[in-house]
Amino acid sequence: MPDSLSNSEKPKLPLWAGLIIALFAACLVVLLGLLAVSVMERRWEALRPIQVAVPVADYEPNSALWGVNYPRQYDTYLKSRISDTNTKFGGAFPRDYLENDPRKPILWAGSPFSKNYIQARGHVYSVEDVTKTKRVPSSAYPATCWTCKSSDVPRMMAKMGEKEFYAADFHELKSEMIHPVGCADCHDFQTMKLQITRPALVEALTKMGVDMKFVTHQQMRSLVCAQCHVEYYFKTDESAGLKNFLVFPWAKGTAAESMLSYYNDANFTDFVNPISNTPMIKVQHPDYELYLTGIHAYSNVSCADCHMPYRTEGGSKFTDHHVQSPLLNISASCAVCHRWTEDEIRSRVESIQTKVQESLIAAEGALVKAHCDIAEAMKAGATDAEIADSRRLLRDAQFFWDYVCSSNGMGFHSPTEAVRLAGKSADLAQQSRIITVRVLAKYGKTSPVDYSDIKKYFKK
Amino acid sequence: MRIVPIFATILSLNGLPKRLQAVIYCLAGIVIGLAFFVARISNAASYLSDKPQSCINCHVMTDVYVSWQRGSHGQVAVCNDCHVPHLNSISKLAYKAYDGLKHSYVFTFRKEPQVIELSQLAKPVIQDNCINCHTQTFTLCKLPNSANRKCWDCHNNIHGSVHGLSASPEELRPKLPQAGLDIQMKGVD
Repeated sequence: MPDSLSNSEKPKLPLWAGLIIALFAACLVVLLGLLAVSVMERRWEALRPIQVAVPVADYEPNSALWGVNYPRQYDTYLKSRISDTNTKFGGAFPRDYLENDPRKPILWAGSPFSKNYIQARGHVYSVEDVTKTKRVPSSAYPATCWTCKSSDVPRMMAKMGEKEFYAADFHELKSEMIHPVGCADCHDFQTMKLQITRPALVEALTKMGVDMKFVTHQQMRSLVCAQCHVEYYFKTDESAGLKNFLVFPWAKGTAAESMLSYYNDANFTDFVNPISNTPMIKVQHPDYELYLTGIHAYSNVSCADCHMPYRTEGGSKFTDHHVQSPLLNISASCAVCHRWTEDEIRSRVESIQTKVQESLIAAEGALVKAHCDIAEAMKAGATDAEIADSRRLLRDAQFFWDYVCSSNGMGFHSPTEAVRLAGKSADLAQQSRIITVRVLAKYGKTSPVDYSDIKKYFKK
Repeated sequence: MRIVPIFATILSLNGLPKRLQAVIYCLAGIVIGLAFFVARISNAASYLSDKPQSCINCHVMTDVYVSWQRGSHGQVAVCNDCHVPHLNSISKLAYKAYDGLKHSYVFTFRKEPQVIELSQLAKPVIQDNCINCHTQTFTLCKLPNSANRKCWDCHNNIHGSVHGLSASPEELRPKLPQAGLDIQMKGVD
């Protein structure tokens, strides 16, 4: 029995060692299996064609139903619920623009913006925010205000007609406006191609001679934003049967001067500032127009490139639908072109914005004094004809200041243009004051106007 | 001295009940089979080569692949010419193994950043490789402080001017190199 003898001489494994070996081998099987599945999944991510699980209906306003087919886009879109982000000048939290700046309520006196001006939150809150704002009164109000607030708008416009939609009452349409800004506002329901759903933009571009047939995809990545993030006004023309018709004032061009000239030709007034009795224009948010004058537009960088940059998750490349300040997403938006650290990029952007803010505050100071000067002239007994030039200059001056002030991003969409406009505003405001001072002198008021208590001019 | 008999005991599972031995051998067989399988579907063998296609076995490198292919170096150099050391074959293999394990860890656990930066380990390797080819350039000009500067501090568009996992347009992005058997690819465009 030599075999059994040699076997017994060999060291023997105890049972517990055998169990440990078996367990170890089993663990290896599980780990390798998991790795195999992971490798296969990650390969499949890249190979997988787009799968439409549930076809989307025409004018489907509910983004959740689109999200079934496009889970990555929808998941990122839902992130716009985050409303506590706070950059130096932006972010998605409801910042009170009137806080800590007593000048703004004076400049906007007579307009609802002097009473309540809170930064809107992300797209998913658009319906909630517009129904909450104190700027919309409970009395009759134009339904035109809904145009940019709900993905139910394309559906309702198709049902009612464009003119009829604008002419309706805000509160009457409330029951139809359920879904916030979402998929249907920018996408074709069948092909997912970007599309313009708000007629005002097409009308404005057509007037400028743009042929919508030749607009590229890269241009569309800005134009879908330009449906709303632009300067606009409501046109009422009874002879043409228009009531509160949404118009972008681009007939002469999109430059600040071109729009002002358009408004002045049309004799358009948003509100009268009661301090100086000056007919004013309230600029909305000409983000797109300001961007057009900047270096990023020149380099063919679209809105989406910075505000909703491409992301890669495994094998799939998609557009991040969490529309937000690029400063909250520097590595994916700025850093793909500007190869510096996040801190470096942030400090550069903030330093540019701070300079724009300084220019704006300088202009604001001049504007406030120009309003006060005219108020003093009125008190001294000056006639409307005598201060007509001062008022005209002041109206123009405030337009240029408001153009930058009301744009999002503290001028970063085009810093040089923003500073130019702020400078122009300050210059025109001072020109207005020089004329007013002459009028004051005519009425024997030669001592300096007391600006120490500017609040006294602000009649609620 | 006793290592060999201990190894033999572990391999032969001497002294264990026959059933447990069978289970362990089965599991070992599965491990070996799975290892081959994973090696195949991950194109593991391709990493021994210098082919640039090996670098796009996973999709993280797709963008840099496209920008290399269409850039100034696309016709004259491949990924490994710049990105692994060429001092000797041991350092090359060791570098590949270290970098490869790091990459597979990052990719498997979805830790990849949206914009890839050079690691501290990679910088001197690439700088040496720049000079390996561009020797003439450096006999002609000696930059002040050139020891501290890397070539790409100025020549920053070697991989194009826009960087990031998503920078290249969809049409230019190559398909994944095939892994697995042809029959599995049926129906996938």
